[in-house]
Amino acid sequence: MSNRLLWKIGFIAVCLLIPASAPSQETSVQLPPGYSGSQTCKPCHPSISNNFLRTAHFKSLSDDKLKFEQKGCESCHGPGKAHIAAKGGKTNIVAFSQMQPKQALDACLACHSQQLGRANIRRSSHTTSDVVCTNCHSMHKAATPQKLLVKLQTDLCYGCHTNVRAQFSMPVKHRVNEGFMQCSDCHNPHGGDASVTKMAARPRMMAQGLQNEEPCLKCHVDKRGPFVFEHAAVKVDGCGGCHVPHGGMNARLLKRPQVFTMCLECHNGLGNFGRQGDGIQLTPSSHSLTDPKYQNCSLCHTRIHGSNSNSRFLR
Amino acid sequence: MRRLALLLLLPAGLWAQATVARTTEEVGVDRGFNFTNYNLRASFDSGFRTAQIDGNRGKYRSDVNFGNGIRVMGTSIAVNSREGKGKYFDEFLLNTQGLGNDPYQNVTLRMEKFRRYRYDMNWRLNDYFNPGLTIAGGQHLQNLRRRMQDHQLTLFPTGKFQFYGGFSRNVQNGPALSTANLFDTRGNIFPFFENVRREQTEYRLGGLAQAAGLKLFWQRGWELFKEDTRGTLDEPGTPLDPTVTNTTLSGLRRDQPYHGSTPHWRVNLFTENPTWFSVSARFTHSAGARNFIFDELASGAIRGGARNVQTLVYGNGRRPVTSANLTLAIFPSKTLTLTNHVAFSQSKMEGDNNIRQLTNNTLDSTILNFQYLGVRAVTNSTIADWAARKWISFQGGYQLSERRIRSTERVDDSGFIDLRQGEQSNRLHAATAGFRLRPIQGLTIVADGEIGRQNRPFLATSEKDYHAFGARVEYKQKLFRLAAQARTNANFNSISLFSHSSRSRTYTADASWTPNTKFSLDLGYQKLHLDSITGLAYFLNFTQVNGDRSYYVSNVHAIHGGARVILIRRLELYAGLSSTKDTGAGGGNYSTLPALQAAQSFPLTYVSPQLRLSVKLREKLRWNFGYQYYDYSEKVLSQQDYRAHTAYSSVLWSF
Repeated sequence: MSNRLLWKIGFIAVCLLIPASAPSQETSVQLPPGYSGSQTCKPCHPSISNNFLRTAHFKSLSDDKLKFEQKGCESCHGPGKAHIAAKGGKTNIVAFSQMQPKQALDACLACHSQQLGRANIRRSSHTTSDVVCTNCHSMHKAATPQKLLVKLQTDLCYGCHTNVRAQFSMPVKHRVNEGFMQCSDCHNPHGGDASVTKMAARPRMMAQGLQNEEPCLKCHVDKRGPFVFEHAAVKVDGCGGCHVPHGGMNARLLKRPQVFTMCLECHNGLGNFGRQGDGIQLTPSSHSLTDPKYQNCSLCHTRIHGSNSNSRFLR
Repeated sequence: MRRLALLLLLPAGLWAQATVARTTEEVGVDRGFNFTNYNLRASFDSGFRTAQIDGNRGKYRSDVNFGNGIRVMGTSIAVNSREGKGKYFDEFLLNTQGLGNDPYQNVTLRMEKFRRYRYDMNWRLNDYFNPGLTIAGGQHLQNLRRRMQDHQLTLFPTGKFQFYGGFSRNVQNGPALSTANLFDTRGNIFPFFENVRREQTEYRLGGLAQAAGLKLFWQRGWELFKEDTRGTLDEPGTPLDPTVTNTTLSGLRRDQPYHGSTPHWRVNLFTENPTWFSVSARFTHSAGARNFIFDELASGAIRGGARNVQTLVYGNGRRPVTSANLTLAIFPSKTLTLTNHVAFSQSKMEGDNNIRQLTNNTLDSTILNFQYLGVRAVTNSTIADWAARKWISFQGGYQLSERRIRSTERVDDSGFIDLRQGEQSNRLHAATAGFRLRPIQGLTIVADGEIGRQNRPFLATSEKDYHAFGARVEYKQKLFRLAAQARTNANFNSISLFSHSSRSRTYTADASWTPNTKFSLDLGYQKLHLDSITGLAYFLNFTQVNGDRSYYVSNVHAIHGGARVILIRRLELYAGLSSTKDTGAGGGNYSTLPALQAAQSFPLTYVSPQLRLSVKLREKLRWNFGYQYYDYSEKVLSQQDYRAHTAYSSVLWSF
């Protein structure tokens, strides 16, 4: 191991092990005009104050580099002196329950704009529908300690997307209700970049995988390719061309109960479609649909997502 | 205040009712104890599950898959430093689910020392079973175990200069049943077992630099993938269709190693001035490549003659993908936001292979293939969001997308070269509009719509001439909530008459009511309708049939409900019901082919009532019991039906 590498490892280790300096004592510093300090909130809001150490925002109190205005309760709720003098009230302090959606969004983004996942929050469908941070996150009564969500994520999303709840109640589904997956494994609730499939059209709030592709490929890694023979439909219109992601009746989450109907709907020789723009190839004349074998396309076309050894995805 | 918080949070325990689930803990309750400089809260829930299945066990395993045995239902440990000055960490959060025996297991961990480091870990395991396509007699069965893990360590997580390193792994292995069509297309189909072995590993390094109001992110990553699936058939194969006797198979071996890597770069630049603009720019590039070998040896006989065929294919595939995005948001006033998003993406897939086939130990063909598929897309979308008054806001947008696909297919079959090149382009115009209304306190009305037109979609079923409209009404008071939603999607892709049309309509209503701490109720109903019709062409006994139709209709009626009641001080009871019924088509045949008629709908019923009981034994100890019944029945193939009784009993210790 080179000396240079050892120095780097040593430097990082020292940085990690240096005990944090004690948080600044609010009472010992000059208070900015209108501010009273987080300690003054406790007598009237004991539950919130006692639980504050269990929230992610508690770290602001122990951060010496932050200005007084950026610490504790008043970092979000603004100067509290007038609120205390009036013995409470929502007009003399920054109360999120009284804010317009855009104001709440701006308030949170003042600190939280730096994360990559929120780069498109201003144009997300949630924001344009006035669903902003405080609709899903609770600073003081969160059900999940990491993301500070109001409810468990699945319940939270089902609250508005009730049709999706019905889809996940189908017998075949992705295991969201079982707790193995979460909505945010596939969706970016803060808004995503334009999709690279399906003309960047609907749905617009998808999380993106390694090659900016659909989130399906984050788990179904064997379908990513590259393959010598790509099933072009997958790369152009995405997995949703054949599959329903939430839930359905087919064991493979196909859009149709039987695979051959779905294949035939595209492979009908109709002009203008496909990679040459001259129609998607009709099934061969030997494939008589009276024979049950030819009603099960994937029995022979086993590598339908893409193949390296056969242009017709036979192996 | 605390009572109100509890009232608001009680329904949370009701919602998670779709499967056998442990009784959730109350949130918002002060718990835990202090030691040294830390506060600790924890809960451990351990017990056993039991399941009794009548009917199709394979289908049960595919849908539910809970079995018998002891397990740790769940664990939650939260350690927080009391003054933000813990020596080694300030926050430690650990949550687990189903460890030991459940088919769905996960562990999440976060450990953070303020300003120094943050470590996030997620580990998941899924025992996945799929009995295969029903009409194929259960072929393509899968019985896999999927394990995924993700680790990320961030240094100086709140600083202006951050660094992180990450590691992810996704492993799948287990037996699967596949099929091979031998020895030619008119031969028979034989099932054989595969031993699936797939492994993906990703390493990443990245950082953030912040200066002069600009934030710059960068990430360098390496994805490594390898698949070493092997399929064998050591005994004479049983043909899928015993009436076809022209082929016999005495043995099969198939190896298909597939290895490669995808190195990638991501760079993001971000700046925001909260009073009038924000800019986000992103560039990504990845260069995926895979090497492969396909080696198959099959021996048997076809049409009376002995046949052994060895097929060897080797080569590689490459796919560089580049994309760039730029989002500009400007705020002309406090109530108006205008955003514009430009996206460019380019994907170039190319690959070549060399196929050599020996039949009865004689080289009978050598084929060289080269394939290219390039997809380039440019998108521009603009959205205006205007909060006209406190009680009403509007949004509208326009999107223009252009895509070009170029394709080359080249086959060199022993000197005979077949070359096909093609190009296809497409343009999308889409417009969106909507409003949000709050006429009185607690009442919200949201409506939105989208209309889109494409000139040359890629597939006959792609969206070409589509529109989507939806509206949602919600009335919410502190202890009561009522919501209803309607949404419709329609697509007409009629290059020729009735090429394809698809319509879906969704109607939902749900309500929750929590009058006091001892009782809460949650009810909902959803109707999902879908009908689609597509023009078909196919062959019947070498005669082409044109103008037939594939018709599919689904009418799903789903209800869910649950009531939670505290009967006596120590006894909490929850009863719930989830019912999903697809009534299928109303009748009428849209096709002349019986197989297509049989696929017009898929009527099924899936009902699952459940009961949960929680008894407070001591201040920190609860006994939980749950029972859930599953009843699945379908009209297409009644052999799939099953009924299952599942139950669990556990002890929850929390402090």
